Amino acid sequence: MAEEFNTDSMLSMFLYESNQGLEKLEGIILEKQDADCFDDADINEIFRIMHTIKGSSAVLMYENIKTASHKLEDVFYYLRESHPENVPHKELVEKVLAVSDFITGELDKIKDGDNPDGDEKELVADLEEFLGELKGEIKKQGIRLPKANKQEEPTQFYITPVAEPDSHFYRIVIRYRSDTQMSNIRAYSATYALKEVAEDLLYTPEDILSNEASHDSILAEGFHMLLQTKASKEEVMELIDSSEAETIDFDEINSTEYGKALTEFGREAPPIVINLGDEKGEAKGEKQQAPIAPGDYVVKSKETGKGKTLAKNQPKQQAIISVNIEKMDALMDMIGELVIAEATVLQNPDLKVPGLDLTNFQKAAAQLAKNTTELQDVIMSMRMMPLTSVFQKMRRIVFDVSRKLGKDIEFEVIGENTEVDKNIIEHISDPLMHLVRNSVDHGIEDNPDLRTANGKSAKGKITLEAKNEGGKVYISVRDDGKGLNREKLYNKAFENGLIGDKPMSEFSDKDIFKFITLPGFSTKEEVTEYSGRGVGMDVVVKNIQSIGGRLEIDSVEGQGSEMTLVIPLTLAIISGIVIQVGEAPFVIEMASIKEFISVTEDALIQEPGGEEYIVLRGDCFPFIRLGEKYDLPGAKSKLEEGIVAVVEHEGQQICILIDKILQEQEIVVKPIPSYVKKVKGLSGCTQLGDGSIALILDVGGLMIEEERR
Amino acid sequence: MKILLAEDDFASRKFMDKQLSRYGECDVMVDGEEAVDAFMMALEDEPYDLACLDVMMPVMDGYQVLKAIRDIEAQKGIPKSKRVKVIMTTALNDERNVKMAFELGCEAYAGKPIDMEKFEKVLKKLELI
Amino acid sequence: MADEVKEELLEEDASKGKFMTFQTGREYFGISISYVSEIIQMQPITAIPEAEDYIKGLINLRGKIIPVIDVRVRFKMDPIEYTDRTCIIVIDVKSTVIGLIVEKIAEVVDIMEDDVVPPPTLGGHKDNEKSKYVYGLARTGDTMKLLLDPEKLIKQEDLDILEEIQEEEQS
Repeated sequence: MAEEFNTDSMLSMFLYESNQGLEKLEGIILEKQDADCFDDADINEIFRIMHTIKGSSAVLMYENIKTASHKLEDVFYYLRESHPENVPHKELVEKVLAVSDFITGELDKIKDGDNPDGDEKELVADLEEFLGELKGEIKKQGIRLPKANKQEEPTQFYITPVAEPDSHFYRIVIRYRSDTQMSNIRAYSATYALKEVAEDLLYTPEDILSNEASHDSILAEGFHMLLQTKASKEEVMELIDSSEAETIDFDEINSTEYGKALTEFGREAPPIVINLGDEKGEAKGEKQQAPIAPGDYVVKSKETGKGKTLAKNQPKQQAIISVNIEKMDALMDMIGELVIAEATVLQNPDLKVPGLDLTNFQKAAAQLAKNTTELQDVIMSMRMMPLTSVFQKMRRIVFDVSRKLGKDIEFEVIGENTEVDKNIIEHISDPLMHLVRNSVDHGIEDNPDLRTANGKSAKGKITLEAKNEGGKVYISVRDDGKGLNREKLYNKAFENGLIGDKPMSEFSDKDIFKFITLPGFSTKEEVTEYSGRGVGMDVVVKNIQSIGGRLEIDSVEGQGSEMTLVIPLTLAIISGIVIQVGEAPFVIEMASIKEFISVTEDALIQEPGGEEYIVLRGDCFPFIRLGEKYDLPGAKSKLEEGIVAVVEHEGQQICILIDKILQEQEIVVKPIPSYVKKVKGLSGCTQLGDGSIALILDVGGLMIEEERR
Repeated sequence: MKILLAEDDFASRKFMDKQLSRYGECDVMVDGEEAVDAFMMALEDEPYDLACLDVMMPVMDGYQVLKAIRDIEAQKGIPKSKRVKVIMTTALNDERNVKMAFELGCEAYAGKPIDMEKFEKVLKKLELI
Repeated sequence: MADEVKEELLEEDASKGKFMTFQTGREYFGISISYVSEIIQMQPITAIPEAEDYIKGLINLRGKIIPVIDVRVRFKMDPIEYTDRTCIIVIDVKSTVIGLIVEKIAEVVDIMEDDVVPPPTLGGHKDNEKSKYVYGLARTGDTMKLLLDPEKLIKQEDLDILEEIQEEEQS
């Protein structure tokens, strides 16, 4: 996820505004694609969006974007002024989308630091032709053509700075030979040479030219420099005259260290101001910024060796800042470590001395625990993003696919403002796209007559809904199409040898619906362009499982299907129960634990094949002895000595024999290093309070393993 | 073309001087006040066609210079078309700064490091070359 | 360029010829010091069920979780008891960090390229586990050192994993 971070804020602003505009535009288009025409409000809005993009792209001198948006603006200008009738709506929609796609493509190039060099000529010619026809039509309808859309050439321009490689930061110490004459002059010539490449250069002692005594201190302590530059180490070395130098220490440091070092050099590190809005919740959409005025940037007479300082203290207050996602991830990691450190302190074995009075400690501990929890909540909320943009994409997919397939489909979106961790958003886009395509392609009937015959409206309907319930996010794709056919699915799975020879009656509806998620299953006989390209629902399920989610399928034949993705709100920190088997600690996610129970041998059923079951309150559950399964030395083998954990995953429950429960803990999930082959039934590892490592049990994985046996 | 360049940083000044000298005679100033003085002086015989102003400068910053120039021009009744074309050159390129500069009446705002190709395009658009 | 810089560069070059050697069984091994990030004492190890026998488990290296492998087991030699002298050499190969459990650290020696001879590829040795990861032999003092190629050590694993994935997909 190494996203190019564009530092030019004018450019980012342009990209942001234009993308916002285009998103809105697509929203309008997709909403009105099936209408007969756009209404006045739409026309005004599209005109306005194109006008804005045209204006700002002209200021930034992106000629092709300017020309394309300008042409479309013209088209909408005539629509707005003359209100002609019989505008070929479908064609217009296509034109608008073509322009929108073109601009989006160019914006992406700009974002990636490439030159937006797309050729707009064909597109513009196409629009020109359309406009010509439109004008003809207007005249034919006896409406006077309005005055041509007056085109104001911009008189103000913004020249975007050249994109440059990242700056390097170096700390350089030159020590001259003790017999060096006028080391201060040598030091000066070094700084002079570096000025050529330096973006920032600080050195100490500072008064090398004006104070001859600096010669002695340079000899004694060396000449220290801090350099910010785009040049490489080699280039910098080349510039420094080192003929009299005894050693040159040359360290590349990172920007944080540089900031710290600046302070050592007596300059304040650049302030980082994060003001996340008013605490008291006066959430204002408007940016509150102290106005700037001429005179804010007067530079104090510059002292040698020091950076520029402004005479007037520039107030830097912003309500919103953009933060590099890597920094957010780093912060997240740090908080994870903090949670572990907290556990290390609060569960410290030193506290277990009998008779110790811990009243005050416990009070302080409770406060600490409260603070860390809040801190976690804050960082979580900072990472949350609405699903809007993902859902917007789906709109487009429904539009494209349904049009290509010639299906008439209404698309409804509910709860697009539901927020999900940014990491998760990245993972659900593709699976969701697959589900939506499936619904359009396989879900909705090919023939509208079939629909009306079943008492449904001729127009199909697909609903995309998101909601947040009980720490999980539910995203469902619902269609009112033909639904899943039990028999067909069974036969297909049977033919493909996916289910052995069990008769259909042994499967519940849910079991049978799950067949479509088996690898190598596709109900559609012929592979279509949009779905069932060999990769099927099994990939969707795999992707969703990789982020700890699951897929639920529900369907009534003839009435439609509903596919629901159930995903966790966040990935990084889960609350779990630490258990012990033999000498090894494991963690089970809290959400999957139903209960812990003591069981006697009476409850155990052993099948001849070696499979074991536990009967609890009349129900029979598969039974796994974790110690045996993973061959853990010292694990308890008698039911009476251990504890049985009843765990649930996707509605199924199994029993696991463990030795004992250690504690409940918030844990930071870390992946098992990739060097180690993936072990089924384990989803990751974590660090416990005492620094030891526990493995995290993957209940779903354990069940799959169990089923295979 | 007659050009006024105000830039306090030595390296940038050298660079800009070299670049701009291709288009015409270039007077170089090192702080904001000097720039305004130079502008005033030039008005009396041959006014500048182009002024390139750094923002962060001693005594007066680039915005103050820009404002002063526009005020002087207004006072002297110089028509908009005859005004000196002003290009701000600076590394301060957040939206608020750019917007303010535009409001104060500059023709272009060039983020540093300056893309000379685009810079030349702007000069053409401003009909200076 | 200045003399000092040259010296520095030379020094860097020189470190390329430095090898960390360790003893395991009767044999001495060497690994280029440029891969070695640190040497730590034996640590409590969390075993990973169902992993290969030579992967002893995971250790916590100041908050970073890394796998450790037993070099003896890796080379199909009989395992030995861990003692006070048993160490973990933490190596970093192209950002993959793993720990090697070795019986005893010997010393850092200079081995010049000229001193390295390729391992014998006699018929019987071809499939030898050891020779897969040994790219050369070097004699220093009176012992022969087997020089390990850590990239192969890592890569071999990747291949194994790939094969496994492919198998899984086919099944």
